Amino acid sequence: MYKSKYSQNRKLFFFPRPFIILGKKCFSPLLFVLAFLLISFQPWQALGQGSRKSVSFIRDVRPILSDKCFQCHGPDSETREAELRFDKEESALRVIDKKEPRQSEFLERILHLDPDVLMPPPETNKPLTAAEIETLTLWIQQGADWSEYWAYVKPRAQPARTRQKDSNWIDDLVAVNLRRGGLFPAPPADPRTLLRRVYFDLTGLPPSPLNIESFLADKGPDAFERVVEKLLASPRFGERMAIYWLDLVRYADTVGYHGDQPHNISPYRDWVINAFNSNLSFDQFTREQIAGDLIENPSESQLIASGYNRLLQTTHEGGLQPREYSAIYAADRVRNVSLVWMGATLGCAQCHDHKYDPYTIRDFYALSAFFADIDDEAHFKVGTNSLPTKRPPEILILPKADRIELDSLTNEIAKVNRKLASLKTELSKKTKLLDSKKVANQPQSDQPARPLDKENLDLESQIRQLNSEIKSSQSVKTNLDKSKSSIEKRGRWTMISKSLDNPRITKVLARGDWMDDSGEVVSPAVPSFLGEIKKETRADRMDLANWLTDVESGNGALTARVFANRFWYLMMGSGVSRSLDDFGGQGFPPNNGELLDALALEFIESGWDVKQLVRQIVTSKTYQQSSIPSAESSKLDPYNEYFSHQSRYRLPAELIRDSALSVGGLLNLNTLGGNSIKPAQPENYYQHLNFPQRRYQPTANEDQWRRSVYIHWQRMFLHPTLKAFDAPSREECTAERPSSNTPSAALVLMNDPIFIEAARMLASRTLASSQNDEFANRLERLYQLALSRPPESNEIELLKTLFQSNYEVFSQNQEKAKAFLNIGQAKANTNTDEATLATWTAIARAVMNTNEFITRN
Amino acid sequence: MATTNRSELVNQLNRRTFLQRGGVGFGAAALGTLLGHWNPSSGCGQFNESAAALPHHPPKIKRVIFLCMAGGPSHLETFDYKPELERLDGKPMPESFTKGQPIAQLQGQTLKCLRPLTKFKKFGESGLEFSDFLPYQSQLADDICVVKSLVTEQINHDPAHTFMNTGTAISGRPSMGSWINYGLGNESENLPGFVVMSSVGGRNPQPIASRQWSAGFLPSRHQGVEFNSSGNPVHYVQNPRGISERQQSDLVRSISVLDSIRNQKIQNPEIDTRIAAYELAFRMQTSVPELTDLSDEPQHVLDMYGATPGDGSFGSNCLLARRLAERGVRFIQLYHRGWDHHGGLEKYMKVCCDHTDRATWALMADLKQRGMLEDTLVVWGGEFGRTPMFQGKGGAGRDHHIKGFSMWLAGGGVKKGHSYGETDSLGYHAVKDVVHVRDLHATILHLFGIDHARFTVPFQGLDMKLTGVKPARVAHGILT
Repeated sequence: MYKSKYSQNRKLFFFPRPFIILGKKCFSPLLFVLAFLLISFQPWQALGQGSRKSVSFIRDVRPILSDKCFQCHGPDSETREAELRFDKEESALRVIDKKEPRQSEFLERILHLDPDVLMPPPETNKPLTAAEIETLTLWIQQGADWSEYWAYVKPRAQPARTRQKDSNWIDDLVAVNLRRGGLFPAPPADPRTLLRRVYFDLTGLPPSPLNIESFLADKGPDAFERVVEKLLASPRFGERMAIYWLDLVRYADTVGYHGDQPHNISPYRDWVINAFNSNLSFDQFTREQIAGDLIENPSESQLIASGYNRLLQTTHEGGLQPREYSAIYAADRVRNVSLVWMGATLGCAQCHDHKYDPYTIRDFYALSAFFADIDDEAHFKVGTNSLPTKRPPEILILPKADRIELDSLTNEIAKVNRKLASLKTELSKKTKLLDSKKVANQPQSDQPARPLDKENLDLESQIRQLNSEIKSSQSVKTNLDKSKSSIEKRGRWTMISKSLDNPRITKVLARGDWMDDSGEVVSPAVPSFLGEIKKETRADRMDLANWLTDVESGNGALTARVFANRFWYLMMGSGVSRSLDDFGGQGFPPNNGELLDALALEFIESGWDVKQLVRQIVTSKTYQQSSIPSAESSKLDPYNEYFSHQSRYRLPAELIRDSALSVGGLLNLNTLGGNSIKPAQPENYYQHLNFPQRRYQPTANEDQWRRSVYIHWQRMFLHPTLKAFDAPSREECTAERPSSNTPSAALVLMNDPIFIEAARMLASRTLASSQNDEFANRLERLYQLALSRPPESNEIELLKTLFQSNYEVFSQNQEKAKAFLNIGQAKANTNTDEATLATWTAIARAVMNTNEFITRN
Repeated sequence: MATTNRSELVNQLNRRTFLQRGGVGFGAAALGTLLGHWNPSSGCGQFNESAAALPHHPPKIKRVIFLCMAGGPSHLETFDYKPELERLDGKPMPESFTKGQPIAQLQGQTLKCLRPLTKFKKFGESGLEFSDFLPYQSQLADDICVVKSLVTEQINHDPAHTFMNTGTAISGRPSMGSWINYGLGNESENLPGFVVMSSVGGRNPQPIASRQWSAGFLPSRHQGVEFNSSGNPVHYVQNPRGISERQQSDLVRSISVLDSIRNQKIQNPEIDTRIAAYELAFRMQTSVPELTDLSDEPQHVLDMYGATPGDGSFGSNCLLARRLAERGVRFIQLYHRGWDHHGGLEKYMKVCCDHTDRATWALMADLKQRGMLEDTLVVWGGEFGRTPMFQGKGGAGRDHHIKGFSMWLAGGGVKKGHSYGETDSLGYHAVKDVVHVRDLHATILHLFGIDHARFTVPFQGLDMKLTGVKPARVAHGILT
């Protein structure tokens, strides 16, 4: 059975086209002629003369060329065959005949019978599919139209955007595309769904029943817009946006390699939250992170931001080879900065020129040279297995009052030190003087000792005086030091960027081999096909940051497109281009290029105003549509590339926990930022960590119920509640989290004490506030809190059955009820008997485990 | 009221399992799309036709048990005897070997040769050589294939493990167990297809990151699940305190019905997947404790492995590995983390071999007597080997070494009683039939019926493979 399957597969694989069933062995000249005739005419005929299907080079053709041809006929000069490349028109025209399309060698080769002639060669395992052949054939038939790669040309102005109208231009641009696809928009979402959606998207938390009620009651024409403004102004906005940003820049609380010790960086996370809340313009946001330390007289906040350059994984493992890790760190930074800001997979050019995009290996190392000034290798030697480890340079961040007190203490300590120094000098002078006098006064061997004269006596008393002054100053200093260190303990250290006086030398490492010392030395430069930074002296990180957001002569347009696409994704569930991390040839071109251009221009022309971009998107009708696709749109637009409806997706991990805490009334929103928190986790969860062995100390006070964006991010063993719902380890840039549906996630949501505790608190709220103790009334209260809607009759019926079976158990077995209610630390605020509370906790648990509870619609 | 009951759900699930095994154009990867395990509109982890055609050729094995000797056991005190080192003991290491080579903790130090710190003997009909540290494994001389010519690229533990498991030192890529489960599907109805366990004891144990069993950009249901040797075998597999199995099953049923009711309004194609995930989770709550409860094993079997239930020993884990294998788990990885012998090598080799040698033999013998060795691949080895040069951190020891080291493979499709590959006279460079880690990956995939070059998944614009971009070859010389 295997054998036949194998041979069948093989055939299918190597000879995908039906008319090449003869195989290599039966090949003969006669057959070749026959077949060639077939091939020469059949595709044209099969497609019909002047097929109506119109092929777009960017959307349809280039992705095929990139995927199937660039490997040997693309930007990488080392693997290029026959000096032919399909990323450049003039080269491609060597095998494409525009005047006599049928004569094009290109066509002949992709349709050829002989596997030795056929392109792509069978051994590359990249056969063209029938549909791809059709597309390429049509493209040549229609004149082999060529255009510049979409991501690298400036966004074109969209008249729809600047026309003064009542409607949101997004809807106009989406409508044009919908018409092209023969689609219609979905009806508006019902108000409860819409409100939940916008609350989740802008704050990461569900609305309260009161929020729902007042929204339903508000009949004003701009009721929704006012909600949007309120949410954009809420401090929760920054916490929500930060989750995404921290994934991109791979923020974590631990070093990631080997001992995975904590490092000091949490102030950076708080800086990100504040930056989104204060709507720091995105270009400045970029500058402060990449080069905050290079700003003249940088503020403390700008230094914290420069911690971006320190977020990568680091090690001080015994036996590390510094040059190897120098190279690893450099590559890590290039991968991150290029993926985050340029949507470029420049990491591929570490060993060779990029296979699909015009990035060269030299570009890779020249980009890494921007970061060669970062002083961060001291830890190779001074890194310790302490918790936290040492990763200099770091600065101490304090609350304002503490900072003032610390500064004055530091002054006083300096004063005392000066005083001590002068006292000690004085003392040593006088002691010496006295000693010399004593020697002079030394009696001759057989004479009695002469008494000390008055001068000497004075000297002795002065010395005593000095000693006592020193002693008292020292005790003052000890006290000052104590106060200082107690203030420092209240503060937080954070890693920052600091420039070396002499940047490390950067060489091109052939094949990425750090031991190969023979490569060319390169200076900081941006990828050459994207332009250059004109500067007489060495370009620095500030130049890079400026270039990234410089629309006129830098990468600004690409950066704007990349982020317009990502903010769109955050609000709509998928990007205008489905690729959030690859705007290169292997990524998906935008389905609606005009829309992406307009969004990018909006971002740029608003002065890189993040809140404005988000506002523009969420106030569109497109955003406010229902997420239920019509039958037509399910068929024609299965991936929602036309945005013929909103999207439905499972909430990110942090939002699942935050929602549970929020509906249970447990969520602690008292402060913004601060030390990372450690919610309970299984006791032996860190058993595989060492250097040193770890004992997890869960946060015991109310901080344990703070938002999940503050959870301690242990790269090697991410908190299991977050991990079960696809939160990434943040070892590398993540632009899009997967959304899985696994048994492990089910076990967490059902059995993790965090969710049992939240369910108990939700039950307690349900019982506490309900005047009417009818089952249906209480259940309605619970549903409103958890799902923002009343239950349906069949839901009530089902849960009543669940109530009865659980009540039976708990009322007959108080011990079980007690045990169940003792999970976690939060105290239920109700006078209800234990069996009832336990039973309602079981109901809350069921509701919190529904798909609806963890889904954004 | 909707009347989805438990047996209907189980039926639904079985239909899925049938699909998964039927192979009528539905590879496991395709099933993933069907079940919506990841968002088809997302840019990552998209379904790739290359996985649907699996297997590419008839497989020899159904599962792997990978005995990971973390820390890097010395090949020079286990399988690769170098009499020349006796002669040069204490003398300078010839520079011709070490010049321009990567060096870990011995950087900047005078390099001296260190003799083998134990005796070697030939065993079995094959005459394979084993050191005195391995009295039990030496009895496997006619069952295993020792490969003496492994090379890797990473000289520090953490990246070397990542390289051994994922084929690259860059974090965030899928590990071998995830690749195999992604390609071939999970054979077990009640357990995850990729299980990882770690045992207690040994020298200061190597830290192991969960990255080592990550699914990377593959659907996360293929990630390895860690089974704990003490406490709850799997996190959150136990009902909350005070909740009976009956209550838990009522809960699972209620969730399914609530989801189904809601689905009538919103037509979510993922609902079935979700119901199946909850069903499997619930079944795991029974099957995992049943699996880890060794009370049904006769005493002579426990004795054979040297296992005491609940002791977290390598012996217990080997026995659990057999039980996992019996239940259809495809990829089982057992870590013993005590093999980093920079010093006191003799002492710590004894400790580590005491922990692992007998149990390794017992696992092999047990698989063999149950007829399971024929379709199981057992792999023994560390992330790298150790230097022929002396290091003296508390008694004679050896530093990390990546240019030549030993592993062994045994089971389906692998030659028995065979030695493959050689290092040079000092055990420094692999010089004959070199097996790169990539080649090991290609070989393991080959035994599963997978051509590594055609088993790809698009990610960030590239066709990702377990074996990476550099050439890899199947080590046919170790295969029957």
